[in-house]
Amino acid sequence: MASVKLSNVWKMYGQTEAVRDLNLTCADGEFLCVLGPSGCGKSSTLRMLAGLEHISAGDIYFGDKRVNDLPPKDRDIAMVFENYALYPHKTVYENIANSLRLRRMDKALIDQKVKKAAAMLEIEPLLDRRPAELSGGQKQRTAIGRAIVREPQLFLFDEPIAHLDAKLRAHMRGELKIMQRDLGTTMIYVTHDQLEALSMADHVAVMHEGVLQQFGTPHEIYSQPVNEWVAGFIGEPPMNFVDCEMVEEGGSLCLTHPHFTQVLTEAQAAIVRAKDPAGQRQVRLGVRPDEIAVLAEALDEGIKARVLVTEPLGGDMLVDLALGDSKLLAKTKPDFAGQRGDECSLTFDRNRWHVFDRASGLAYF
Amino acid sequence: MADTSSSTVELDGTADLASVMRDGRRTINYDPPHLNPVPSRQYYFYLMLPAIIILACITIYPFFWLIYMSLHKVDIGGAGDVWNDFKNWTRLTRDSKFQDGWWLLLKYSAMCMFMEVGLGVLLAVILNNSRAEKILVTIFLMPMMMAPVIAGLVWYYLYNGTFGWYHWLLESAGILGETSILGGTSTAMIGIVIVDVWQWTPLITLITLAGLKRVPRDQLEANMVDGAGPVRNFFQISLPNLYPFLLIAILLRFMDNFRFIDAILVLTGGGPANSTKILPTYLFDVSFQFFKLGRGAAIALTLLVVTIILGLILVRVFDSPASKTGQTQAGN
Amino acid sequence: MASSDVVQYRSPARRLVEILTVVFLAVYLVWTVLPLFIMFVSSFKDLLEAFKLPPTGDWAGAWVFFDFTPTVQHYVDLFADNNFGTYLANSIIASLGSALISVVFGAMAAYSLSRIEFRGKRDLFFWIISTRMAPVVAVMVPLYAIFRGAGLVGTLPGLILAYTTFNLPFAIWILKGFFDNVPYAIEEAAMCDGCTRFQAFREILPLVAPGIGAFLVLCVLFAWNDFLFASIIGSGGAKTLPVATKELVQPQNIQWGKIMAAGVVTTAPMMFLGLLIRRYLVTGLTMGAVRE
Repeated sequence: MASVKLSNVWKMYGQTEAVRDLNLTCADGEFLCVLGPSGCGKSSTLRMLAGLEHISAGDIYFGDKRVNDLPPKDRDIAMVFENYALYPHKTVYENIANSLRLRRMDKALIDQKVKKAAAMLEIEPLLDRRPAELSGGQKQRTAIGRAIVREPQLFLFDEPIAHLDAKLRAHMRGELKIMQRDLGTTMIYVTHDQLEALSMADHVAVMHEGVLQQFGTPHEIYSQPVNEWVAGFIGEPPMNFVDCEMVEEGGSLCLTHPHFTQVLTEAQAAIVRAKDPAGQRQVRLGVRPDEIAVLAEALDEGIKARVLVTEPLGGDMLVDLALGDSKLLAKTKPDFAGQRGDECSLTFDRNRWHVFDRASGLAYF
Repeated sequence: MADTSSSTVELDGTADLASVMRDGRRTINYDPPHLNPVPSRQYYFYLMLPAIIILACITIYPFFWLIYMSLHKVDIGGAGDVWNDFKNWTRLTRDSKFQDGWWLLLKYSAMCMFMEVGLGVLLAVILNNSRAEKILVTIFLMPMMMAPVIAGLVWYYLYNGTFGWYHWLLESAGILGETSILGGTSTAMIGIVIVDVWQWTPLITLITLAGLKRVPRDQLEANMVDGAGPVRNFFQISLPNLYPFLLIAILLRFMDNFRFIDAILVLTGGGPANSTKILPTYLFDVSFQFFKLGRGAAIALTLLVVTIILGLILVRVFDSPASKTGQTQAGN
Repeated sequence: MASSDVVQYRSPARRLVEILTVVFLAVYLVWTVLPLFIMFVSSFKDLLEAFKLPPTGDWAGAWVFFDFTPTVQHYVDLFADNNFGTYLANSIIASLGSALISVVFGAMAAYSLSRIEFRGKRDLFFWIISTRMAPVVAVMVPLYAIFRGAGLVGTLPGLILAYTTFNLPFAIWILKGFFDNVPYAIEEAAMCDGCTRFQAFREILPLVAPGIGAFLVLCVLFAWNDFLFASIIGSGGAKTLPVATKELVQPQNIQWGKIMAAGVVTTAPMMFLGLLIRRYLVTGLTMGAVRE
């Protein structure tokens, strides 16, 4: 077991910079997710950790040991690949046993370990099959089996469940988390799926175009995004953004928009004033769809908007709204009665909304 | 959930001072202070080396020798090579056999190509709809496994004017007179083309069959829904999808017609009256019958240049995405 | 999706086309097989029987083709009087030798070319394949001069080296395609499992082994069937089967039965090998451009 530390790590492919000045630490026994859209450098990061890619600049430490120049076999890691990378000519058993055989482990012991891993992953009946005869989920379990049987100091998972169907993916999320907790092994898990990152990880590192955007617990990433990009990337359906002015009015800070004026809480006003004492500010208000309450009738005190369309989702309903020229998406109870073209009134949840500096994109709160 | 303080990101260090916000996100637009040394990849080059050395010895070195020889009067006996003021080259301009050789080579290749492609594609289309495809293809492959020189010998026997069964067939059917097909200056070319067609049409068929299997079924079905019958379907959908395959087949056969003269050497040796003396055959005579290696080298160079150009075209076709996927053609 | 799976509807025209195709296939079958059949049958005919032919126009007389007493005398003679045992050995040594050299060095080079990118790779590749496309006669002119100087003419090593000029580029070109089809991730997985780079290479060898085996066979076939190199470079001490067969053709007293027997001896093993690697044949004969 080991902690992992990346210190000013860069990865260059010729002129392209895949990873830029990445600093990241992962404590012993922790589950760390690296989350970002495709091309954000998350896979390059993982491959540098595995020793499959040369580290262009910076250092990687496992515990106190600098591993930059160690080949994969000497790093004591196990990796699960996106397309599983099983040996097509070997049976499931041989695939799982391969790393132990390479270590010249005693045959009986190998057998015992493989059987144990197979039992844990519920693939015992498949041990004599070859990868071509397996379903996607079974291949993925085999690949995981190959990794866990090693009992390495670090697991590296590269989008291991991206190619499974939605139902199986949901099931595997839970299983992987249980497995990691049971084994207690440090795990670094790369994914583009925020649901996976938020549901499984102890900490999430959000990356975009090779640059670390935010590092924190899933709760922090979701409820306190540090900038507009992270706020927009995390959350499904995505956050609504509305451009506003921020003005002092009678001792409190207000957000003004042609269609509404909203007052910040005292705590929020204090944060803004402390960070940035200037008078008038160009800001962007961010409200998640489920932080908007919609009433199907036009009340005087609410923000007035018009219903464009409703999308019933079973347990919830999404309402597309027009607020002047801008569009908003709100999530309501399925019994919302508004019809296309109806006037309705909105309330924003003041305690959970976010305000960003329009120029820099940095969050005030 | 693990303790937050155990993992931190150093967003407040020196690095962060230089990071800039753009489009609502953090960006970094400075370069790393120093790079780690790049690991060696020599491993791969050592693996490549033996093959490269062997190839260089047996291709590049001889190529320069060829140029050298083409500029000298080469004497095998050991009297030494003598510079001869481009005589090998200037003679080519007056050498009617050289010029005829090129013409006959083109004529021979064109005739082979025409027959092989026509017959090969027809055969492929028929086989593609046949239940006996597997076994028939296997049988049709057999001539290709034969050494061309043996094929030449067998056909030489069949064509023979006094005891050849095929000659007897042709004469009995009234197609030919007493003279064998290889004996007449006007028919000898047809004779050698037929042998090439017999041996190599299956290659075109195989390539076309592979192409036909890749014609997207949805395109064919969409065209049928649009009102096309099987014939229109073939010309509108299958054929356009086959073009890259046919191009590969034609180029391959073209180059093989340049490369191999084994069968011709046995069948006619270039005769009668040089009517089948295609360029490689003439080159063979000059170099290895009369041992004028200098002049042979000059002829060989002209032949090489043309094949290299053909090869460039071929490689381009290999690389084109069209040879891997069929383009979608409009329905009507 | 095979285009032959597309649904077809019955009609009188379709019926006619079906009959015509059957006729065409039958004719083409005869056209393909007949020369091979005649070669095979004639090899069992004695000197005079091989020359027997009905008079022109006497269609009914065609049965004389089958009017003979089979004899294996030609086969016996070939090996007893004509040294075909030696030539057979020469053919085997030369073709197998060059095939082995080509496939071993070719596989190493192909693996490297498949796994790394470097500047000038395309040019290197074109050079490799163009050596394979060069006309045999043109290549032989300088090769003959060089080999003569080095004393390689008429020797088996000389012939092996000559065959390598076309087999090695072929092997590199084709095997690169095979290695390209093996995902690099499998090697990476092996390295994570604890393999060194070389062990990882060995780990994927079983995946390409069938292909390598097939192209070893194909290299043997190309070398075996060669005539020009063997007749010039191999002339003298390293005569192979095709050359020996060709030399049976004398101005006087041609023994056709014997020549056909020699043809069968030369051809039969290659047809067997061809059927053995049937699956890889299209890929091989089109230099990897077309896969079945």
